[in-house]
Amino acid sequence: MKKSMLGVIDAILLPEEMGELAAHRSPAAIPFAGRYRLVDFVLSNMVNSGIQSVAIFPRSPYRSLMDHLGSGKDWDLNRKRDGLFFFPAPAKEGQFSRMAEHLDYFNRSDQKYVILSNSTTVANMDFAPVLDRFIQHKSDILEVIHKGESAHIYLLSLPLLLELIKNRHETGYKSMQDVVEDAGSSLTISEYEFEGFLKRIKSIDDYYQTSMQLLEKEKWSELFNEFQPIYTKVKDEPPTNYLAGSYVTNAMIANGCVIEGEVNHSIIFRGVKIGKKSTVKNSIIMQKSKIGQNCILEHVIIDKDVSVEDGAVLRGTPDEPLVIKKGSVESAVASS
Amino acid sequence: MVKQKCVAMLLAGGKGSRLKELTESLAKPAVPFGGKYRIIDFPLSNCVNSGIHTVGVLTQYQPLVLNSYIGIGSAWDLDRKNGGVTVLPPYSESSEVKWYSGTASAIYQNLNYIKQFDPEYVLILSGDHIYKMNYDTMLDYHIEKQADVTISVIEVPWDEASRFGIMNTDDEYNVTRFDEKPKKPESNLASMGIYIFKWPVLRKYLEMDESNPDSSNDFGKDVIPAMLADELKLIAYPFKGYWKDVGTVKSLWEANMDLLDDEQDLNLFEHSWRIYSVNPNQPPQIIGTKAKVKHSLVNEGCIIDGAIEQSVMFQGVEVEEDAVIKECVVMPNARIGRGSFIERAIVMNGLEIPENTIIRNDADDILLITEAFLAEHAEQQTRVEEA
Repeated sequence: MKKSMLGVIDAILLPEEMGELAAHRSPAAIPFAGRYRLVDFVLSNMVNSGIQSVAIFPRSPYRSLMDHLGSGKDWDLNRKRDGLFFFPAPAKEGQFSRMAEHLDYFNRSDQKYVILSNSTTVANMDFAPVLDRFIQHKSDILEVIHKGESAHIYLLSLPLLLELIKNRHETGYKSMQDVVEDAGSSLTISEYEFEGFLKRIKSIDDYYQTSMQLLEKEKWSELFNEFQPIYTKVKDEPPTNYLAGSYVTNAMIANGCVIEGEVNHSIIFRGVKIGKKSTVKNSIIMQKSKIGQNCILEHVIIDKDVSVEDGAVLRGTPDEPLVIKKGSVESAVASS
Repeated sequence: MVKQKCVAMLLAGGKGSRLKELTESLAKPAVPFGGKYRIIDFPLSNCVNSGIHTVGVLTQYQPLVLNSYIGIGSAWDLDRKNGGVTVLPPYSESSEVKWYSGTASAIYQNLNYIKQFDPEYVLILSGDHIYKMNYDTMLDYHIEKQADVTISVIEVPWDEASRFGIMNTDDEYNVTRFDEKPKKPESNLASMGIYIFKWPVLRKYLEMDESNPDSSNDFGKDVIPAMLADELKLIAYPFKGYWKDVGTVKSLWEANMDLLDDEQDLNLFEHSWRIYSVNPNQPPQIIGTKAKVKHSLVNEGCIIDGAIEQSVMFQGVEVEEDAVIKECVVMPNARIGRGSFIERAIVMNGLEIPENTIIRNDADDILLITEAFLAEHAEQQTRVEEA
């Protein structure tokens, strides 16, 4: 039954305002919640719902996304039959046009239904009840709704998706969103209201606010539970080491960190070092960044592999967090 | 089978009875260590990091957890087309089930496993110790010295030497005598239970040992002395670095505490010598608004709202508000109730410690907190309150 669904992740759509965070990577590969990439959520949801064939349509640059996903092993998608498929396509306009480049995949699949999702929705969601609802409602397309807004996740039959792709020039529909938003369409649309925690990350502000919300335990536990784990690339980092002199409150911290300074209301990714007498507040520090000694960081998003040298002061505001570009070096002189 | 230069045989059948309830339902090599590992992760990771990709793991006692943990070896990158990891349980030959009676007989029973790779050298390891070691460097030494057998040794404090198998050597590290737990040690070079044999030599002596009815089938007690008696070239390989037998509750606790010591040699953060383990897929740890985390090692999936100091926390541990954990090792998925106080102890995995449980320990010994311990502790409390 569950094997009857195909998972399609559209990582083509570009959220407009991701700024520096999406400069070198597909939005799907933006690091999130300490140890994940945005795509991990929808991908894990698909796997946890029993989906065994997932197609990802990436947008260039996709090196970091490919590196992250590899053979799909960490999501248990390295299968002899089905598994994970990666479909780069020439830069054409529209979701359906890109999918048309890989019609063979859809033609060869014997699944009856398709879950079509964007790549930047953060939620822990079982698609099995979504399929049940779809079958009960007998509509052409089911749209997942959260708090009255579209989550940009759709369920439809595989033949209908094929039809939409093939007839895209006649209908003028470039994407699923066009289909659903066309009031004059003859296709019937039903809705599935998702009650849990769900956020589609479209901007730096979304990114920052949603990340910070996860520091509230209720929100955290809506996203993470032991029965529907979120999978990600395994890094084999040791547990995080809190050295003498560290002072940490209200933080989400991944493995492999060495913390000597003070951390408050922040999210720290894998392998981050925070030096003595440094203070990190209301900030997000991505993997392998190094914060020296006597630094002050407030309302900043530090991308991966950044080096913040001793004594640097970096400050953003709650409404406009300061984003530090991947791989940059922040010295005390430049920031003062 | 593709020929392999060196095959490793890892003895993982140990019962580890001095670890009490910790090994009640699992073999010693499967005992959790260091916040996210199991003991066997160390020799397995050492093998992979040393470029040895053919490892036979000999299991016997309580193998269920160990077998499913090892799986096909993917966590250590040992799922290989040639070689890889193979779990080798005792098997029955004709109608008679043959348990492994000693370390040597365990290897003897699996000579066919080694034969198929036609190796030049066989590395014998045990799954009882915490250490990082490059076996390839030891193999180079073995080849350079043209030894029949190379035995890795470490200098131990003289007053502890009588607890170990002691190697007496000349100035060139040629082994002259082996004393198992000598009352009056004449050397402080302890055998680490790590041997490299020339494959034909190993085979010959294991076959001889097996046909000797008086042998206890042990490498240290029987095979090594027999080789010495025949004047084979046995050489000691002096190892420097962290090495610890975690055979007792106290030594397991100590080895965990060593990880919190910035001065010690066992660096888990060394990139070029990663210790691999099976990933439990847990979200990042959450440190709450009222939490205090001081000088500790904390793994993924922990939710800390209380105070922890000088402690090692495994994945999925929960410490509720106003609880205090001092100098403890808390095994996976244990939960420490609000207002509790626990010091100098190992808390068993999955254990739920009720609210306001006060367990003080200023003794030298380390407590092992289990269901039974908690029940007895609660009974004592009631008696004290009644009196």
